[in-house]
Amino acid sequence: MNIRLVGNLLGKLLLLEAALMAPSFIVSLACAGTDRMAFFVTIALLGCVGGVLNLTARPGVHDLRAREAFIVVSAGWILLSAFGALPFCISGAIPDYVDAFFETVSGFTTTGASILPQVETLPRGVIFWRSFTHWIGGMGVLVLTLAITPKVTGRTSHLMRAESPGPELSRLVPRMGETAKILYLIYVALTLANIVALLLAGLPAYDACIHAFGTAGTGGFSSRNLSVGAYESAAVDGITTVFMLMFGLNFAFYFHVLTAGIRKAARNEEVIAYLCIVGVAILAVTLNILPLFDGKFFQSLRYASFQVASVVSTTGYFTTDFNAWPQLSRAILVGLMLMGSCAGSTAGGVKTIRVLLLCKNVRRQVKNTFMPRRVSLVKLDGKTVEEGTLSQVGLFFFAYIGLLLVATVFVSADGFSLTTNFTAVLSAISNVGPCFGDEIGVLGNYGVYGAPSKLMLSFCMLAGRLEIFPMLVLLSPSAWGLHRAGKARVKART
Amino acid sequence: MRIVIVGDGKIGHTLAETLSGEGHDVVIIDKSGEALGKSVDTLDVLCIKGSGANIPTLIEADARHADIIIATTASDETNMVCCLIAKHLGAQYAIARIRDPEYNNSLSLIKKELSIDLAVNPERTTAMEISRLLRYPFASKVEIFARGRVEMVEFRAQAGDKVVGVPLSKLSASLPGLPQVLYCAIERFGEAIIPDGTTVIEPGDRVHVAADIPTITGFFRHLGKHDLRVQSVMVLGGGRISFYLTRLLASLGMRVSIVEIDRRKAELLAEQLPEADVICGDGTDQELLVSEGIADMDAFIALTDRDEENLLTGIYAQRMGVKKVVVKINRGNYADIVASMGIDSVVTPRQITCDTLLRYVRARSNSRGTVIERMYRILDGHAEALEFIAQPDDPYIRVPLRDLAVARETLVAVIVRDGRIIVPFGDDYVQGGDFVIIITKRQGITDLKDVLKVHGGKA
Repeated sequence: MNIRLVGNLLGKLLLLEAALMAPSFIVSLACAGTDRMAFFVTIALLGCVGGVLNLTARPGVHDLRAREAFIVVSAGWILLSAFGALPFCISGAIPDYVDAFFETVSGFTTTGASILPQVETLPRGVIFWRSFTHWIGGMGVLVLTLAITPKVTGRTSHLMRAESPGPELSRLVPRMGETAKILYLIYVALTLANIVALLLAGLPAYDACIHAFGTAGTGGFSSRNLSVGAYESAAVDGITTVFMLMFGLNFAFYFHVLTAGIRKAARNEEVIAYLCIVGVAILAVTLNILPLFDGKFFQSLRYASFQVASVVSTTGYFTTDFNAWPQLSRAILVGLMLMGSCAGSTAGGVKTIRVLLLCKNVRRQVKNTFMPRRVSLVKLDGKTVEEGTLSQVGLFFFAYIGLLLVATVFVSADGFSLTTNFTAVLSAISNVGPCFGDEIGVLGNYGVYGAPSKLMLSFCMLAGRLEIFPMLVLLSPSAWGLHRAGKARVKART
Repeated sequence: MRIVIVGDGKIGHTLAETLSGEGHDVVIIDKSGEALGKSVDTLDVLCIKGSGANIPTLIEADARHADIIIATTASDETNMVCCLIAKHLGAQYAIARIRDPEYNNSLSLIKKELSIDLAVNPERTTAMEISRLLRYPFASKVEIFARGRVEMVEFRAQAGDKVVGVPLSKLSASLPGLPQVLYCAIERFGEAIIPDGTTVIEPGDRVHVAADIPTITGFFRHLGKHDLRVQSVMVLGGGRISFYLTRLLASLGMRVSIVEIDRRKAELLAEQLPEADVICGDGTDQELLVSEGIADMDAFIALTDRDEENLLTGIYAQRMGVKKVVVKINRGNYADIVASMGIDSVVTPRQITCDTLLRYVRARSNSRGTVIERMYRILDGHAEALEFIAQPDDPYIRVPLRDLAVARETLVAVIVRDGRIIVPFGDDYVQGGDFVIIITKRQGITDLKDVLKVHGGKA
């Protein structure tokens, strides 16, 4: 492996993180918070480590192969979280490092699962940083690197593929760098729109920013203990519902709306499937929870649509304790947690497109049982999907479920109920945040878990955000060139 | 520029790599997802799966706003249709690879009616290159400049050659009577060197020299290399290159024997090429080669589809005493290895085609300034030889070269003015209408203004 190139890129990533921490530093200065020093120290440390890595590890060869790219992505995300946790620790907001790491991973992966029972008393800079990590992690740090790097070579497509969710990397324009730029422009524009909408709904600027970051990255960290429910405003609920659903759409869709018009863009099967599923889920939950709101349909619709949007977009905001909802609604929400939103969005989960492809593949299999010699192809948007892609989707789904089960067993060692453990792990892998069950629940927090479980959940969050395989690659010895070295040793001996 | 390439084969991939590296926006269309997979992984280009002759696919590739569409699929007809449709959609220029000899006679009609701006025929171009090599058997490569007035010739320096071991600036003093040529570039152990006066040629170097034709001939005669005239040629393999080549060689008065293993092909060739002897048999069979008189041949050209066979028979021919051996290698980047086996002349049709196409694209990407007349990639692509026509109102006109800042790793090799060849020194200058030939290690130069900069002017 080209260790020097990896080191160099990781160094650049840390420098970028130092720059990205600057807004939070400014907020803490403006609020004259107790966390000023924490940010100052962290930024200085990031600058030093990043600078040293960047300068000393000068790669002789700039050829970024798939192996290096995957390592840079997975190791990069772990490093970002490791350093991103420092402000929490140093400022004393979260004294325990494992807790702080969990919180930061939860931020970068846009999960929104928290170990903090109280957020309203914490310094404002720290809370700003916590939410800003959502915004950074939503679109991806390496995509940002590609967007601001002047010269991008062809092989960097591995980087973007490892970080962007979805079975296939969709390029909007021939140049990778341009594609990354367009994606970030759309992202920034939508975020600004969200901030303005929340300001108009009467939120203070600080709260508007925090909640727009949480919505844009589909993360779910709030500056209030009761999340969005604390504002008790129908307008804020409505705005957040709409934007959560919007950030769950494929960003290529917006590009096509801008270039080809909404009619052509709306012919996207994934978008149609996503909106249909969301619509049906909202209707079902609304009817199911009608008794809780004394039969008031619109009130029921308000809470149901918010919660469905929050879970399907894997944001994790809440306006009410949906753990106390009827079983049917809870089951629907668990199903939506697993599915998540569209590929190419900031959301987590298996992604609608994969579910769609799996369903189509199953339907084909059923048909072929009756007509074994029938040649049938799976089509999406009128184009034949390659068999390789289909089998990859199947494998991905298996790996997702496999990790879910293994992690559930692991976490169960802490002794909580199966509902809690299963939905907590599902919530972590799908990057949602809140979970069901009485020990943690919607309002509760993950602080009750022990340190090993917290690390396991952190791994799950990263695996979910990076779509499983980059994290598994990190665990495989061949990625580090170890098995080859082993073979060489064996050869030398013989 | 926006460039759409149809067909992600060897040529398509190499072109896409070079063009996207030069800063163009490249879209590749191919029917095979497998071929595209490699390009997606290694190149910064947009890949679209589909047929280039299909309108929706071309629209998806935004052929409407493309500056150039290049059709290089395996099928001539598809290429023509691609160009036709893309042009109608609004593409500016269309290039098609058309290789079937059947179309060769009606090419101008096809180009006009289907609005194809450039038709590339790799086999014909390769055949022309080989025929040049046979005219100058001492050279391992010959490129022409200034509409044929200047030639740049590559040869391998051997121990005992007079030019070896003396600094270039002292050559004329130590070797009186040696015709003055320009030493343009030297390749040593796979590395390109742009020589200056202190450079010393070593045995084994591949040296490029440029001058007009009589001077070049005189130069090699002086070196004692110009003692061979090719009169009889044996060609191995009866493909399209052989067809074009035989025509060209026969017109130069050479006697050509073609060895082809397939009887039907052999018969067809015998019918089409009455001027050649067509031998039906296995060209890798040494006995056959001997009985057909390989030992008496002046040149042997291996043009089968298999690189390994070409190479082995080439080495065998050399051992049998054939003076000039040319070998076709399809896979790129092996020229170095082949050269180390003693075979100097290697032709790679893919590279020849790519050069032709690149030249065209470069010329179009620079619509206002000095236009590239010719471009050759030399030394396995480590360096380029470019020919420009100087424009009368450019800033460097009539400024002595010593007062110009010449770009780094670049050599102004030759200036051709009214048919006269000037090997430039500090006092010489460029006039409007001159042909200027430069050798450079930098990539992607499209304008003479980028090479010759006036001091104190804008960078």
